[in-house]
Amino acid sequence: MNIIVCIKQVPDSAQVKIDPQTGSLIRAGVPSILNPHDHFALEKALAIKARTGAKVTVLSMGPDQAIAVLRLALALGADEGVLLSDPTFAGADTWATAYTLAHAVKKIATYDLILCGQMAIDGDTAQTGPEMAYHLNIPQITFCESVDSDGQQVIVKKLIEGGHQIMEADLPVLITMTMPIDYAPKYPSFLAAHQAQEKPISIWKAGDLEADSHKLGLEGSPTRVSRIFPPAGRAKGEMITGTAEEMAAKFVEILKKESFIK
Amino acid sequence: MAKNDLITRNLMLDSLKQYAKNRISHEFLRQQDAKNEIPLDILKEMYDHDILGVHLLLIPEEYGGLSGQTTEIYRVCEQLARIDLGIATGVFATFLGSDPLNVGGTAEQKAKWFKKIAQENKLVAYGATEADAGSDLVSLRTRADRVEKDGKIVGYKITGSKMWISNGGVADIYTVLALAPGGPSWFIVEKGTPGFTQDAHEDKHGIRLSNTAGLAFDEVYVPAENLIGLEEGKGLLQAQAVFGYTRLMVAAFGLGGGEEAVETALKYAQQRIQAGGPLSEKQGFMLKLITPHYTRLEAARAYIDWTAKQLEVNNHGLATEGAIAKLYATESGNKAAEDAIQAMGGFGYTKEFAVEKIKRDVKITCIYEGTSEVLEMTIFRGRWQEHLKSRGQYYIKQAEELDAIHLQHPDVGADSAALGMRALAHILEDCRVQKLTRHQYITFMLGDLICEAEVAAVFAKQCAAGIVTEGSRLDLNSLKMMSRVTARLSAFKIATEGMRLILGVGGVAAAELLQAVNLTAINEKMAGLIEDQDGVSAKLREIFKA
Repeated sequence: MNIIVCIKQVPDSAQVKIDPQTGSLIRAGVPSILNPHDHFALEKALAIKARTGAKVTVLSMGPDQAIAVLRLALALGADEGVLLSDPTFAGADTWATAYTLAHAVKKIATYDLILCGQMAIDGDTAQTGPEMAYHLNIPQITFCESVDSDGQQVIVKKLIEGGHQIMEADLPVLITMTMPIDYAPKYPSFLAAHQAQEKPISIWKAGDLEADSHKLGLEGSPTRVSRIFPPAGRAKGEMITGTAEEMAAKFVEILKKESFIK
Repeated sequence: MAKNDLITRNLMLDSLKQYAKNRISHEFLRQQDAKNEIPLDILKEMYDHDILGVHLLLIPEEYGGLSGQTTEIYRVCEQLARIDLGIATGVFATFLGSDPLNVGGTAEQKAKWFKKIAQENKLVAYGATEADAGSDLVSLRTRADRVEKDGKIVGYKITGSKMWISNGGVADIYTVLALAPGGPSWFIVEKGTPGFTQDAHEDKHGIRLSNTAGLAFDEVYVPAENLIGLEEGKGLLQAQAVFGYTRLMVAAFGLGGGEEAVETALKYAQQRIQAGGPLSEKQGFMLKLITPHYTRLEAARAYIDWTAKQLEVNNHGLATEGAIAKLYATESGNKAAEDAIQAMGGFGYTKEFAVEKIKRDVKITCIYEGTSEVLEMTIFRGRWQEHLKSRGQYYIKQAEELDAIHLQHPDVGADSAALGMRALAHILEDCRVQKLTRHQYITFMLGDLICEAEVAAVFAKQCAAGIVTEGSRLDLNSLKMMSRVTARLSAFKIATEGMRLILGVGGVAAAELLQAVNLTAINEKMAGLIEDQDGVSAKLREIFKA
């Protein structure tokens, strides 16, 4: 069985602040991390590997520094890595990114299961995974909290409004994974980090993919961002105290004063 | 297998950080600190191959370790210190305890003991210090008497005592320095060997999460194969061979403890509103309590990293550089922690906030592995020889090199660093001519000035080479600002302190000396100092948000 896990290097959003004047992210001194949803998806893939002996390939698109997250994935137990790194890929929105990743998957050729994080914490779009499934013309199941496979089928626990759905699907399929709220990512031991240096990482350029170059990067991106701004803070509320009658009276008073009622 | 590259090092450091984040809360540290107790389960987890396996860095690859390079070991030390200096000390004691074996052990000894340390996660202790033998190991009293059988040495009986041994009460394996008939020698003693006992754990000012105890040896028999290197009398050389290296690790402790304290104080100041705005926006607060310390710590980091890279080429030695790194980084870290308390006011003085403990902890870095005063003496002795050998040209040559750098890179402070070097050369020469080094105090202070000059020079050179120090969170431009600040202040200190020392003994005209150290030129370079410091403050505010 062959599993591909799509991963992304993102700024640790817990440490990113937004410049209120310009609306842009203050990236200075902010460390980069493996997107936590992807980290979770990777751990699920490695759990399947532990049970079935599946081969796990990690795939990422980004600048050369993104090798760091591939190495983390290899240290955690993935077998090989592929980095899509080319100036042509730069500026891609989710559509162009999904198109590029899908072509890398086609080049990898042998796969049964593709796992993606639900979304990256820097963009929060949750679009890339589903769009990849479209480009590959394979089924997809989104927002899964767990996934298991025997090599023939997958069984997933999908998060839905107010509960879960248990679903089965034939392979190949693309699953997007949602990490639980209390998720604590696993990190490799020093020995595993050391040994990951010996595992293969391929770096593919645009020319390595059988893709339409007009559909890559900024050129292939239909998204236009008109403005980025931090949401305005909410004004502090007022607490009404007293007995039920008193509070109701005060409340009515306020509603009248603010012209909500007459 | 390949050496660990930068990505691997960062992976290891991330794993260590994440482990600490999940397992070691401030509340936990506070409890252990109050109980004065080593968290053995934490140390065991840190040694667990599947969790971290930190100690594998010090073990050669052929014995199941990772053959850690100096850079990753110092960076791990820095990170450990940021977590807790007591825990860091417990880990470091294993590093240190294994060193005599690393330097002097035979292949069989290394195979036997390193495999044991690697695979069985053994804690090691380094037993050198005695009541009358600290920095001065020559006064060693612990004896190792030969035990002979049929005219052949089959073993040794060790008798004596050791004090202030880190991991003393909890280690499994001890490397012990004792006086054999052929001279000081290292022996391996295992816990539980008859006659070998450990004293009660010390009640210390800081690093209370590290176990410190005395050791007592009453005719403790060890087989001859436990004599490291199977040759008597090599002990002091084996100990000294790694001073450059071990002191660099403690330098990293000073760096880690100091930066953790300053960052904590700065993050606090970003949200502490006083007189209409956050404290961190106030120039007086920043330029007194935060910015100068972070600047010195970045200078220390540049110097430590530079020395580490040199050690990776030279393997051993660099005793003077190791001493400079430790003196500068630990004194800077200690002062940074002191002012972090000041910066946080009443909050800083309570145990609820981390800086109070850091301040107590980091003080040890100015004491163990050579006190600051011993280091000043070591630095002075090392460079005094160079000064004499070169007929006073040692620092003049370095000044010329810095002047040349300044022509190419006018924005790194190499001009001020050069002025500092020239002033230093003059002060050393004056001391020689007037035989001022008969005053021990002056030799100590000269060691300190040499340290200032060399750190400033390396920082400027690194910046000129476009090097953003590994592990630094700043960009090259900010480091250049810091380098300019460091070079100016160091030149000023060298000139003014040097003058004070020479004039303090008397016999020299003040006006002449003033000219000779070129204080006017040094002062003229001060223009822009405050602007640079404000620039550094702004950058620090940007990086260390609340």
